[in-house]
Amino acid sequence: MSASQSRSNKRIAAVFATMALGMLALGFAAVPLYRIFCQVTGFAGTTQRVDEAQAATVKTQDKTISIRFDANVERGMDWEFKPLQVTDTVSIGARDMAIFWAKNDTDHAVTGTASFNVEPAYVGKYFNKIQCFCFTEQTLEAGQEARMPVLYYIDPAILDDDLAKDVEQITLSYTFHPSADSGVKALDRTGSGG
Amino acid sequence: MATTADQFQAHSEDHGHHDHDHKPAFFARWFMSTNHKDIGTMYLIFAIFAGIVGGAFSGMMRVELAEPGIQYLDTFARWFGATNPDFNSTLHTWNVLITAHGLIMVFFLVMPAIIGGFGNWFVPLMIGAPDMAFPRMNNISFWLTVAGFCSLLTSAFVPGGMGNGAGTGWTVYAPLSTYGSTGPAVDFGIFALHLAGAGSIMGAINFITTIFNMRAPGMTIHKMPLFVWSVLVTAFLLLLALPVLAAAITMLLTDRNFGTTFFDPAGGGDPILYQHLFWFFGHPEVYIMILPAFGIISQIVSTFSKKPVFGYLGMAYAMVAIGVVGFIVWAHHMYTTGLSVNTKMYFTAATMVIAVPTGVKIFSWIATMWGGSLEFKSPMVWALGFIFLFTVGGVTGVVLANGGVDDVLHDTYYVVAHFHYVLSLGAVTGLFAGFFYWFPKMSGRMHSELLSHIQFWVFFVGVNMIFFPMHFLGLQGMPRRYPDYAEAYTYWNQIATHGYEIMAVSILIWFVNIIYAFTAGKKAEDNYWGEGATTLEWTLSSPPPFHQYETLPVIESAGHH
Amino acid sequence: MNFTRNARAVTRAAKAAGLALALFAAPQLAQAAPTPAGGDVSASVEAQTGAERMKAPDKGAEPAANAGNPIVPDVPTGDAAAAGSYTPMKPTPGVGMPVEGGIGLQDQYSELGEYGHWIHNAVLMPIITVISLLVLVLLIVIIVRYNKRANPVASKTSHNTLLEVVWTLLPVLILIGIAVPSIDLLAKQFKPAPKEALTIKITGNQWYWTYGYPDNGDFEVVSNMLNIPGAPVINNGIREVGSEPWDGPSHLEVDNRMVVPVGEPIRLQVTAADVIHSFAVPSLWFKLDAVPGRINEKTLFVEKPGVYYGQCSELCGAKHGYMPIAVEALPREQYNAWVMTHAGAQIDGQEPAPAAAAAAAPASEEAAPEADMTAAPEA
Repeated sequence: MSASQSRSNKRIAAVFATMALGMLALGFAAVPLYRIFCQVTGFAGTTQRVDEAQAATVKTQDKTISIRFDANVERGMDWEFKPLQVTDTVSIGARDMAIFWAKNDTDHAVTGTASFNVEPAYVGKYFNKIQCFCFTEQTLEAGQEARMPVLYYIDPAILDDDLAKDVEQITLSYTFHPSADSGVKALDRTGSGG
Repeated sequence: MATTADQFQAHSEDHGHHDHDHKPAFFARWFMSTNHKDIGTMYLIFAIFAGIVGGAFSGMMRVELAEPGIQYLDTFARWFGATNPDFNSTLHTWNVLITAHGLIMVFFLVMPAIIGGFGNWFVPLMIGAPDMAFPRMNNISFWLTVAGFCSLLTSAFVPGGMGNGAGTGWTVYAPLSTYGSTGPAVDFGIFALHLAGAGSIMGAINFITTIFNMRAPGMTIHKMPLFVWSVLVTAFLLLLALPVLAAAITMLLTDRNFGTTFFDPAGGGDPILYQHLFWFFGHPEVYIMILPAFGIISQIVSTFSKKPVFGYLGMAYAMVAIGVVGFIVWAHHMYTTGLSVNTKMYFTAATMVIAVPTGVKIFSWIATMWGGSLEFKSPMVWALGFIFLFTVGGVTGVVLANGGVDDVLHDTYYVVAHFHYVLSLGAVTGLFAGFFYWFPKMSGRMHSELLSHIQFWVFFVGVNMIFFPMHFLGLQGMPRRYPDYAEAYTYWNQIATHGYEIMAVSILIWFVNIIYAFTAGKKAEDNYWGEGATTLEWTLSSPPPFHQYETLPVIESAGHH
Repeated sequence: MNFTRNARAVTRAAKAAGLALALFAAPQLAQAAPTPAGGDVSASVEAQTGAERMKAPDKGAEPAANAGNPIVPDVPTGDAAAAGSYTPMKPTPGVGMPVEGGIGLQDQYSELGEYGHWIHNAVLMPIITVISLLVLVLLIVIIVRYNKRANPVASKTSHNTLLEVVWTLLPVLILIGIAVPSIDLLAKQFKPAPKEALTIKITGNQWYWTYGYPDNGDFEVVSNMLNIPGAPVINNGIREVGSEPWDGPSHLEVDNRMVVPVGEPIRLQVTAADVIHSFAVPSLWFKLDAVPGRINEKTLFVEKPGVYYGQCSELCGAKHGYMPIAVEALPREQYNAWVMTHAGAQIDGQEPAPAAAAAAAPASEEAAPEADMTAAPEA
């Protein structure tokens, strides 16, 4: 083939190779992008994080809503973890505190991180947390117990959402996992060998 | 405006027999090949070999599923190197079989055969190009695919958790594939996908460049044969989808080995994100496998009807539409993962949209034949079989598209039946159609028409017996990826296993036919299918010269409408 | 096994039709085969006898039920429940499980399941059958009319704009026709449960299920598949299937079933402790993935007492095939009696006065969807 054709071939190939590399980069970028997407839109039941100043502007409504609390521990992590109230009824817009309780049943300090979501998933964007034990890692010494608070409110905007306004109960769920750097983490974390 | 490929008037000067071609010596020709036809041949031979391995795995699965209970897995576990398998590692062997079967059939049978084999062979011939744009990269693509296959086979013999081999399913879902599977088997499996994926991305760039930049004078985009169109759309799908898979499985690899938590909730990751990424690749992947088959069927139907393809532009842009929509429907594979109602409604609607361009293709094939003067040569019989079987597979896709109905059918044998109808009975039937259409062109020897017809009917009965009962099993609730089942599922499983035996016979007939062609087959003429075959490859000798189109063919811009 | 004999008889006719017929007549058979009428009758008879059997000991449970704390329980009380009683229900052959040689969907025992079953059998199956047959007929017509002998000279037609517009628009209309009930089904499936609804927490583990009852004192039921006689031991220390009179089919029966009240919405929350599993019960039209690190939620509404079997539906490792699901749906008072067999159990606050409501048809719960429908089987 001629030199000019060879040159234009290379130019075309370079364009499409760049496109492939772009998709590769997007593939990796999907991790932070998905997280941001969930945080902004409440997708997959992701709760919102607000600061005191924002929370202070919210007006309490007459309508109440029931909140259910759910606690889980990943298998292989020897903690007890449960909500101290199974459900609670709160006024929409009013801030409320829920307490979870955790105990490290091992003979050494264990650091855990809690993952979380709410159900029904589409109310995630109205579930605002002001303070939460899930914002940071939690370390419990051997045998230590701890009460872990969540300070939250339901955004009154939920009342204007056709889909979400009929929701009578929202479940807030946490799952504790051993932290990545706690040394518990290994491929065979489930202890099942497979 | 010129419409179809059949209006080409090729003025090629070089279709004499070039026996004085400068063919390199054996090693240089086959191991350092830069010739698109040689590389295509190697892809086809490789795909047949991989298909035998993948088909053997499905045979092992069918024999195990012939009865409830576990009968043969223990033996198979020993084949994979277990010395005294306990019950868990016996069961793990099942997961290895389903994983290897899926990966081999997708990445090492269908893709290499239909894109690497037929694409390499006929895209340059059909557009009047002397070779692919990047012959050396073409060679690298092929050997990367072979290396990937070796890596995948290796994975079956190294520890993968409860036993040897990767038992994650072809989808390699986290966290079963991360902290759920110890041992290097899953790493080897992931590495296999990396290699095959890299090969395919290079191949895609090669095809796009070739088709965009190496067409003979007068061969405009809208005159390209539909097979070339199908490979062009497929190449774009590969280019955009495979890097996403590469990223996802790379993150699996680092999650497994380097303590990252991309998909691990312990570090703020989300296993569902892996599924989003996988299916963002995975759904276009099914079109990657079926679109070139569409192209092959279009060529065959037109040839044996002695008519131009009906609605050429509609056919070409239907494939483009399928490709585009294919990128925005991925989460219909994830209806049960806890998607929200709006998300499910969107993906239900978007998925059903795909039925429209697919319907256009089916009806256009029928319209192409309508009014034609049909000759039922072997490729045409396979093509007719394709159209019917693909329709059956397509309509069950419409059922599964409904998020609310998928709640009961998801991950059951109904899904297995559906995707085998479109792939095993669709893409593979398309492969056979293409094989008998072009085999004499590639080899210079005619196959036996009779044997091919017999093979078709045996194959048709066999595969329908395997996969039609799977609809019943799925509706009755039998989950997929199960080595053992409740007694109630016995009857249809037995039928399916008998169907496999019949299907296996059809493959034997095929091998006999190939041996016949090479030993006793008549020499093939340049255009052995006659007046209906109008694309450029029929202007060349059978087999074509080692270097074709030393003077580029000129395509007349006749045929305006 | 004796258990499958009835089912076998039911489907013998379908099987006699043979594969060749079945291949082409599948949709018709699919609608005809599972004999819902016969199945329903025996189901309710079975449920009656089951109820009878459990009635007497249940009396003792009522005071406990009345005393049930209407306010949400705080922490487990630790009081042993004295008043519980429970004998597992014997499943009815062909109900809540696959039938031998069956070719259609399992009979449905939830309202949404019946709706989905209708969409599949009355909307989707006829449409896809007609389309497939249409293509087949067109191919046959072409083969007969346009072969080389019948039509030696091919036409050169390669366009027909009207035809192309029709075969683009017609599928669009058909798809819209499918989408209407389909989207409606989705909307109904996502109707959230009322706040009083009983909540059950399902956790997938390698390779068993656990069922938590946070509204009933937060006890937990561990559910393992029963071992199969003559096969290698799958779960150590678990009895073999068939060793109790109420055992259902092998591969599906478990040692401890997930017991639920019938005729009221139940909020099922699903998660996993290790890898992804999927909680699926075909006869209740229910499938929801159990994903580690999050809960998924969906409402279940069982219309009839009975035992409904399902199996894990997401590949989860070696024994993926051996972690079945058995849901036993009982009238409210029997459910309460079952609850009270567990240490620390208490009756959740939202049931209607147990003495008045015959079998827990929650007519008073305005949130119960279409209460007239759901109450019918119990009335």
